[in-house]
Amino acid sequence: TGGHTTEILRLLSCLSEMYSPRHYVFADSDKMSEAKIRSFEQKRAETFSNSQFTLNRIPRSREVRQSWISSVVTTLYSILYSLPLTYKLKPDLILCNGPGTCVPVCISALLLGLLGIKRAIIVYVESICRVETLSLSGKILYYFSDYFIVQWPALKEKYHKSIYLGRIV
Amino acid sequence: FRFKDSLAEDLRSADLVISHAGAGSCLETLEEGKPLVVVTNETLMNNHQLELAKQLHRDGHVLCCNCSTLVETLQSMDLSTLKPFPPGQPEKFALFLDKVVGFQ
Repeated sequence: TGGHTTEILRLLSCLSEMYSPRHYVFADSDKMSEAKIRSFEQKRAETFSNSQFTLNRIPRSREVRQSWISSVVTTLYSILYSLPLTYKLKPDLILCNGPGTCVPVCISALLLGLLGIKRAIIVYVESICRVETLSLSGKILYYFSDYFIVQWPALKEKYHKSIYLGRIV
Repeated sequence: FRFKDSLAEDLRSADLVISHAGAGSCLETLEEGKPLVVVTNETLMNNHQLELAKQLHRDGHVLCCNCSTLVETLQSMDLSTLKPFPPGQPEKFALFLDKVVGFQ
């Protein structure tokens, strides 16, 4: 969604072309991300001739302020939906930054890893908006990601396993 | 206007920006080097939105107020006290990721 997409595109801005192909996953209810991504990739294609990317939509795991119980149900549904997608894409690296969409994708990837099908490196970058507290996705993926990056020192102090590189977006 | 795809043009021609505490709005404004007054409304906002506004205020990059103190703030503000906001460094992330993945 919006802010998350802008942030993740900034994170991608300095990555080399070795990070290819890029598979973007976002919520089906998200109307604006596709345009932002296409614009980013179009600019990228001006510098890197063999730029490849795909766009993939999954059901939204959770609406803002959705109740706990219904969130578990909708997230389970999103996980079921993203399992075949993750299986198809078999990513080497998953980069996510906090929207509800990332939890089902990461959980699917973890399952695939447990089943010995494909082990992906999961890198989570908490949003720059998060200065003192983690987002719900962050709280969950703090335990399940391989690398958990925060952008403010207060979070690094609270979450010892996190990595602080300063502001990166 | 209600929504625009990008506020970049408006931001560039502005002398002062008064905004809600949305991260995108704050960061885009600060990156354009424009003075920013952030209006927070604790009753409407997600709690976490305040975190960034508070931190930016603590670091001296923005002025903060709420709806009822806005006029007073605009009348008495001293924009020269605002500190420039250095850009983020995605290149640091790229370096980090290259090491993690083994692309050195």
